[in-house]
Amino acid sequence: MSFVVRQIAKRADGGDIIRTRTLDAAEITIGRGTDCDIQLPDLGVMLRHARLSQLLDGTVAIEATGGIPLEINGQFVSRADLDVSGNPAIDIASHRLTLGRGETPGAIAITAERVIAASDSADADAETGIFSLKETMPSKRSLAWGLALLILVTCLALPLWLMSSRSADLPAEMVAAAAHPPATASRLVPVNATPVADKGSMKPDIVWSSGALSTAHAGLSNNCGACHQAAFVSVTDSACAACHKPESTPDHAAHDRMERGRLASTGLIAEVHKGLNLPEGRCASCHKEHEGPNGALMVATSFCTDCHTGLSTRLRDTKIANVPGWDKHPQFSPTIVATPSLKNPLFQRVSLGTKPHENSGLVYPHDIHQSATNAVTNMALKQGLPTKDGALGCNYCHQPDSDGVRFKQISMEDNCAACHDLAFASDGGVVRTLPHGKPQQVAGIVRDFYLSQALSPRAGVQRLAFERRQVGRMAELEAADLRITSVGDARARGDKAIAAIFSKGGVCADCHGIANTGASNMAERYAIEPVTLADHYLPKGSFPHNKHLTYDGKTGDAACIACHKGATTSKLSSDLLLPSVSQCRDCHGASKPLIGPVTKVSGSCNTCHGFHYGKGGQGGDNGVPVGHTPVATIPKVADADRAIPDRRTLALVDR
Amino acid sequence: MSMRARTGKAIKRAPRDTAHEGFLTHARSRWLKIAAAISILAIIAYEMVDQQPRANGGTALGYTLGTIGALMIVWLSLIGLRKRIITSRPFSLKAWTSAHVYLGLSLIVIGTLHTGFQLGWNVHTLAYVLMMFVILSGIYGIIVYARLPEQLSANRNEATQPQMLEAIRALDRQLDTAAQPLGKDEADIVRLSLEETDIGGNLWQRLTGRQPNCGTARARDAVQVRVNAQMRTGKPDQRLTQILFLLERKDAALAQARRHIRMKTQLEIWLYIHVPATIALLAALTAHILSVFLYW
Repeated sequence: MSFVVRQIAKRADGGDIIRTRTLDAAEITIGRGTDCDIQLPDLGVMLRHARLSQLLDGTVAIEATGGIPLEINGQFVSRADLDVSGNPAIDIASHRLTLGRGETPGAIAITAERVIAASDSADADAETGIFSLKETMPSKRSLAWGLALLILVTCLALPLWLMSSRSADLPAEMVAAAAHPPATASRLVPVNATPVADKGSMKPDIVWSSGALSTAHAGLSNNCGACHQAAFVSVTDSACAACHKPESTPDHAAHDRMERGRLASTGLIAEVHKGLNLPEGRCASCHKEHEGPNGALMVATSFCTDCHTGLSTRLRDTKIANVPGWDKHPQFSPTIVATPSLKNPLFQRVSLGTKPHENSGLVYPHDIHQSATNAVTNMALKQGLPTKDGALGCNYCHQPDSDGVRFKQISMEDNCAACHDLAFASDGGVVRTLPHGKPQQVAGIVRDFYLSQALSPRAGVQRLAFERRQVGRMAELEAADLRITSVGDARARGDKAIAAIFSKGGVCADCHGIANTGASNMAERYAIEPVTLADHYLPKGSFPHNKHLTYDGKTGDAACIACHKGATTSKLSSDLLLPSVSQCRDCHGASKPLIGPVTKVSGSCNTCHGFHYGKGGQGGDNGVPVGHTPVATIPKVADADRAIPDRRTLALVDR
Repeated sequence: MSMRARTGKAIKRAPRDTAHEGFLTHARSRWLKIAAAISILAIIAYEMVDQQPRANGGTALGYTLGTIGALMIVWLSLIGLRKRIITSRPFSLKAWTSAHVYLGLSLIVIGTLHTGFQLGWNVHTLAYVLMMFVILSGIYGIIVYARLPEQLSANRNEATQPQMLEAIRALDRQLDTAAQPLGKDEADIVRLSLEETDIGGNLWQRLTGRQPNCGTARARDAVQVRVNAQMRTGKPDQRLTQILFLLERKDAALAQARRHIRMKTQLEIWLYIHVPATIALLAALTAHILSVFLYW
């Protein structure tokens, strides 16, 4: 009955130290305590951890005495009988005891060794792991590869894959919306289209988008292929024309004229454009997308001046003045009436620089009507007409049109008749008036009036004077005159009255020039000279009056007069009261000064001018007299009997 | 370099000043001046040129700035190759580093002006953000390189890294020996220190140098409680006071090592952003440039 104990310890250099002892006892103790037969110097071991007893039949009983189960061949037990021939292993903390038969009969061999090292060896690897980030962080190389791969897959490979497999389909409602001509073709303020909702799921190539699309194109945000139809090919006009048909988006001018007019770039810039496959003169050359909600409509001034600077040197037959920029914008050339006519008025574009006079055929001294101290203002007050500071307001005649950009047409009935009422007699309380614009009818009515009063005079009928009554001459006397006459007298006096009406000092001559035809028939003797009022002096541009209601702190009529200088002093209707281009420059400056902050409001081309107006519209160099509303938009004239032909009809005849 | 080595010609040593001149002031801050000039020029161009319809990478100036920026990024990333090649030509590594730092800083101006301050959720802004990450991590790197080595040296107090580790391990061995006679409860306390002390710890612990849950600190506190209790009733167990003494020494050794690790981590961490972000930037830059021309 004995135990042969072999305790193996590691030397510092890695070798083993083996100590062998023979214990002649039937029972031995194992533990950390110094009194144990097998001492295991490990804090995980109890002071008295286990007891090993040799039984008669050659087996060994092991019993945990420290209260911690023993691990025998991988199983935790507090007590076990072991057959040593099977070389059972007992694990106690970091140590392992292996039992076996001893060399002498009846002896039990026990090999005790530490199987888990006491502590980390202080080698270089441990030092690197502790003091550097090598073992804490993934390596820089794997981080770099991982990130690069992730980016290349999501930002390059996936969009490329989508690009190669997609088919562009245009939203039907967007195509339909683009096909409609803009409702306000002459308006420069863009019509904000309702954004069409995004269709479908997110596409990988959205990561290539450099910015939000304009509002009108928002529906294409997930549909890159609608515009970017082929790789490395810049967006073509045909991609735009798929929705924007020429009918709704006319060219600025004929294609060949546009080509000739453009200053083609040369040298390096041309080479760059060619080399990068970026042809000039495309839709997208001006309309830059991916610039936010208003992006596609933010057209740079330079895109206009590229052609309009020195245009006449390339497009020799152009009628348009060269415009190098806002600072050198030519003086305005308003379209004014040269010869008024009921059928064929002649319009002319004349530069304000030549101080032109207009011939509208109308007599209208602004100064009298704008005075605050004369009979006009008295009349206006009596009639209850709107006055400002005692004078008739500008807007009594010049009434803003429905969108406030320009003004309603001036008509005798609306704007003159309140004072110039053409009354000629009172007939029992009824005021009889002469018809405006029908001189032959006037002659007939006056003659009939005198004849009827001579033949069958009625009480209460009184001739009202058109002409100023002589001082001291009584109205009653005049009335009596009507009655005490023969028929022949009556006719002579009727003719005299007609002549007075149409002559200088008569009611017609207040406003009109009158021609004496010399006809013996009084009804045909006098002809009113025709009147044509220009309805749009600067039709190639747009000036929204409603955005210019104040000027330099002035409001109301003072603001009007600030630009339309001379409106209160002009004595002749031939005076053109239009502001010159320098007036605009008071507020509108170059879009960005070379250095320093922007001090003036925008002076870019599209502040006033449009582009896609097409033939008959406002832009271009098409030789058509400018400034006249297209036929299709002329409203029906309600009063078919209106004597003076509508000015707009006049304008049309001009075509 | 290798050519010279093969032909056996001696590599001519670059002339050096005797006094140390750092890469920041190299050649009287030549690259600082060049980078400043480039930045000012870019700002003036950006202010003067009327970019229509708005400033961004798509205008003529935008493309110009973008081309310059892309070429600079590629060149700046080549320092990774340059530093592995031992040569003094065409520029010494110090000159190269100086140029790397200052031209890299000027890229903030060039890159930002290239964007025209138009940013979004796309590959283009991704490239910009990565570029800024790289530059900012580089700025951090310069700052810690300028400040930390001195503190690192002071903290080391002439001890090498292996010596610091050895000191801790020697204390562990002493603790192990000293705890052998103790019963289970007390032995377990010592095992806390021996088995649950991680010198470095995770990334956050390394960056802060703080490990409030460290096994040694917990063991020290537990032993302290026991010693205090024994002192109230009489003389404390000699073995426990010995262990407390060892734990306190180990705690101090750990604190020094952890300060060392904190500073070393701060010195190293920026490269874990700078280098991978650079490679990621090169990938994003490729996608950025390609996508512009693919969807031209």
